[in-house]
Amino acid sequence: MSKVSAFLRKKPLIASLMILLLVLTAGCSGSNNASQNTGKNQVVKGGTFVYGRPAPVTSFDEYSEITSNNAFAIDKVFEPLVAFNKDGKIGNWLAKSHSISKDGLTYTFVLRDGLKFSNGTDVTAKDAAFSIQQHLIDKGPLAISAQVASIKAKDNKTLVITLKEPYTPFLSELANFSNGILPNNFGGVSEKQFFKKPIGTGPFVVQKWDPAGDLTFVKNKYYWQKGKPYIDKLVYKLIEDDSQAINQLKAGEVNAIESLPLENANELKQNAGTGVLTSGSWSIEQLFFNTLDKHFSDVHVRRALALAIDRPALTKALTFGYAEPANSLLPPAILYNTNKTIKALNFDTNAAKKELAKSAYPHGFSTNLLIASGNSTTAHLAQILQQAGKTIGININIESIELASFRDRFFAYNFSTMINGGQADYPDADSILAFQTDPKGFSKSYWTHYTNNNVTKLLYEGQKTPDGPARAKIYANLQQILADEVPYIPLYYPDVLIGVRSSVKGLVVLPNGSVRFDSVQITK
Amino acid sequence: MIKLSATGGRFKKLSGLSAKIAPSHRWLVRALIRAVSVVFCVVVAVFFIIRIVPGDPAKMILGQYATPQAIESMHHRLGLDLPIWEQFIRFVQNLVTHGDTGTSIVLGTSTRTLIAERAPVTLLLIAMASLLAIIVSIVLATVAATHKNGVLDHLIRILPTVTLGMPIFWVGLLLIIFLSVRLRWFPVGGVGQGLGGMLYSLMLPAITVAFAHIPTLVRSLRTQMLEVLESDFVVTLKAAGIPNRVILVKHVLRNSALPALMLLGVNISYLIGGTLVVEQVFGIEGIGSLLFSAISNRDFPIIQGIALYCAISVEIISFLVEIASRFLDPRTKGEL
Amino acid sequence: MKSIQLDTQLQENRKGKSLLKKVLNTPPLLWGGMMFALLIGVAVFAPVISPYQPSHQNLFAILQPPSTKHWLGTDQLGRDLFTRVIYAARTDLSIMVLAEVIPFCTGVFLGMLAGYYGKWIDTLITLITDTLIAFPFYLIVIIVAFASGAGQKGIYITFILVGWIVYARVIKGLSASFRKQEWIAAAQTLGIPGVKIILRHLLPNVLPQAVVVLMTDMVGLLVAIVTLGYLGIGIAPPTPDWGTMISDGQSFIATAWWLSAVPGCAVVYTGIALSLVGDGLADIWRRK
Repeated sequence: MSKVSAFLRKKPLIASLMILLLVLTAGCSGSNNASQNTGKNQVVKGGTFVYGRPAPVTSFDEYSEITSNNAFAIDKVFEPLVAFNKDGKIGNWLAKSHSISKDGLTYTFVLRDGLKFSNGTDVTAKDAAFSIQQHLIDKGPLAISAQVASIKAKDNKTLVITLKEPYTPFLSELANFSNGILPNNFGGVSEKQFFKKPIGTGPFVVQKWDPAGDLTFVKNKYYWQKGKPYIDKLVYKLIEDDSQAINQLKAGEVNAIESLPLENANELKQNAGTGVLTSGSWSIEQLFFNTLDKHFSDVHVRRALALAIDRPALTKALTFGYAEPANSLLPPAILYNTNKTIKALNFDTNAAKKELAKSAYPHGFSTNLLIASGNSTTAHLAQILQQAGKTIGININIESIELASFRDRFFAYNFSTMINGGQADYPDADSILAFQTDPKGFSKSYWTHYTNNNVTKLLYEGQKTPDGPARAKIYANLQQILADEVPYIPLYYPDVLIGVRSSVKGLVVLPNGSVRFDSVQITK
Repeated sequence: MIKLSATGGRFKKLSGLSAKIAPSHRWLVRALIRAVSVVFCVVVAVFFIIRIVPGDPAKMILGQYATPQAIESMHHRLGLDLPIWEQFIRFVQNLVTHGDTGTSIVLGTSTRTLIAERAPVTLLLIAMASLLAIIVSIVLATVAATHKNGVLDHLIRILPTVTLGMPIFWVGLLLIIFLSVRLRWFPVGGVGQGLGGMLYSLMLPAITVAFAHIPTLVRSLRTQMLEVLESDFVVTLKAAGIPNRVILVKHVLRNSALPALMLLGVNISYLIGGTLVVEQVFGIEGIGSLLFSAISNRDFPIIQGIALYCAISVEIISFLVEIASRFLDPRTKGEL
Repeated sequence: MKSIQLDTQLQENRKGKSLLKKVLNTPPLLWGGMMFALLIGVAVFAPVISPYQPSHQNLFAILQPPSTKHWLGTDQLGRDLFTRVIYAARTDLSIMVLAEVIPFCTGVFLGMLAGYYGKWIDTLITLITDTLIAFPFYLIVIIVAFASGAGQKGIYITFILVGWIVYARVIKGLSASFRKQEWIAAAQTLGIPGVKIILRHLLPNVLPQAVVVLMTDMVGLLVAIVTLGYLGIGIAPPTPDWGTMISDGQSFIATAWWLSAVPGCAVVYTGIALSLVGDGLADIWRRK
């Protein structure tokens, strides 16, 4: 009871305004260490931050993990040479500078001064070389796609990586948590042992860890951003049920929650004492067609269904303003997206009927829509699509099956249409595009089996072309072809939503759904 | 559903077989044999039922973007590439030698350890719910029995009718909304620190679990009490001028606590099942939440372990209840 | 032989004479029956009662509060809540009844077999029921529902697998007690085959009790269907169903509580109706 009443106590208005102002000025003056020192004495330090999460952290193995439950804990312990910020832009992180040779083959990184691991030992270029080399050996689900020729520690501070052929997304790949820097040779222990007690450069150190429950971090006293993190402890509290998490946030039992369903965002916004932080995401909800299917191998059928769907209306109804209707495959948070300029197939029932008339099934047909059960937004979306299909004579049966079975089904191409999401692993446009358009990749154009030689050609060109207008043009063309041939219909880009207590300041939400706690303060 | 009255199957007399043992102990041996064979069937069922479920644990571990090679090597690591009978033999071996159902596929820890870590909360919740159910039921049953056909009696008797159709998760949700979120009497969920905090945070879940059992308990306790109250024995006591209150406390109440406990014991499987669902509603990290995440992750060893430990506890409790009923029931007392 | 005749005669007499009177004399049955009849009536005449289609969406009028146009407001897809609640009665009640048919028949039959023959048949059936009952009920339900895919199929399969147990256990005890009565012994000495005795003479005697169990078990089944809906493995959309409606509405409990309260109350209402009918039938049976 005392816990609850403590949170209910109101702060004097002026004090909270001051703190707000302070955070704002601190935020404006740059995200890195330099300016923070000036306002140091006003920063609220200390305290334990409790973060409610829907799944436990089961492993810290940065090479073999991919799911967010682990990824968003790994990135607190291990940090990469370069990192992306709130807008998905890549900048130096453990490296104080980096350069890419003109031919796109040689990457040179210079480490920051005074970098230390959480056990107090210095970080050298050897450690960095080992970390990336080990990832090349282990591969794992986020294996480096660039063709790496050599990785060398030129001196204590300088790391040089050379590629066999140019691969523009490489820098983006390196920004991934899976390329976090760890001690050379795992500090002398086996790989398995090391990841049980991980040592990295990140702002937090694992203190207590239950792989089926909660995780407690303490601040890394050797952290390179001086004075940070401000909090002493960070607790990842397992709360599997979303409504339970929301209730705990409202009652002040947690400081923030990672999983916030779209339909509950406004409720938290209107509630005194809680709020919502958002960020544009790297994910996109889509309707996928199996292009091997009898009906959906016909491009006119796919186009007809795309024309029959009112994307702005369904986005508004399903996401309460926390998503943007999608036109292009690439989300706005990713460079080279053409969401504003692309010519998409917009809602027009008459055009849809005309398009279907051109197909081999002018009078419509019956088909199946496969969805994973347990998510009410998906279920609602399916019903809206069903209704849309009906208007042009396509009769859609919804087949809702449990997630594990759902994956089995589409892996085996055993579906006609399905609702699923695309998600970039790193900020480069290639991440989503390669996964969804490469018929030779293991994902077979996201299990649609969509094959178009022009698209494949553009995809490979994009990988080799350095960043700039030329690359932008390639991706604009590619996205336009996809919008015309619709192997999948982009529906909307959901925002990343994090539910917070109003007392929380300085939490940074990243477009991959992770958050940065290094500057977070709990202003009672 | 599978909810029984005290007169259900388990109390049937067991007859025949094994003549060599002294007749008075025959039923005990029989009950033991029965319990052991049920446990064996449970082991077989646990192993095979879960394998019928489609969905690949390797894909659940690696996520939907895993390459086929990664999946294959994961299969090998998990021993899922072996023939099914070999997997079964391994399973039984491990069970017999370590009392374990293997290492969790997702969490990498032994199932026995995981269950042992989570069990205290769940057991405490079950104990609290049982205690609460028994106390409330005895009070309500006493009120009903002593005011037979009065207004209170009718109200209490209508209770099971009203609550039967209330889904337990729905009751939990309503309690959270009104008692926790609105009135802030209880924490919304999770488990508090220390014994006091733990007991306090488990109050509302315990009330929810107990809620599902109180109506049935009240109903049979009331009937039992009425039988005693209207028996010749009590009528004689009354005639002898002993005050009602004394009769009630000394003879009626004292004899009703144990039957109530036994009735709960008979429904133990139902009680555990309800607890698992309620844990989910209140975000308690007990056996229930471990089970639900294991099912969706296809974490075979954990599902098997929990099913097995639950089933074995149910068997042990049923066995104890059977023995207790022999001691307490005057009709079977002679056979001991 | 005499007692058999007497028994059946008595039953027929009562049946023909004053069924209505009996019902009128049993208030729980009367009230429960009326409540249930109303429910069935609303379900059957749903298209007449409501001007809307249950799956008709209006994305521009979502989550509206109750009004004269929409008596209970609209849901997240702008569908009329009242219409969906009464159409859901069709779905849930028909599944509830259909899913009970096979478990009821197999359970009663196996119960009679075990009770009448005893010995190894009893041992075997008891072993199976004890094994299944040792598992927490929802553990089995969830695993089977996962295995067979969400939706109605999963519910039917689950109940075919585990639903019969409760009948088998109750009927077994009852049949065993009948077996000891003299009219069964008399029939046996006359050389009437066991199966015939079971179907002709045992069945009519155990059926009333089985029907009483059926009433409460249907409520349990309804609650199970709703719980599966809550866990997200219930009936597939867009078929309206109370369980899915409760869990969909759960997100709006702070802003539009009626979305999950109304279907929840519908479940409770059905539960009250059926258990009153069960109580009433038990009363009549006990009086006899």
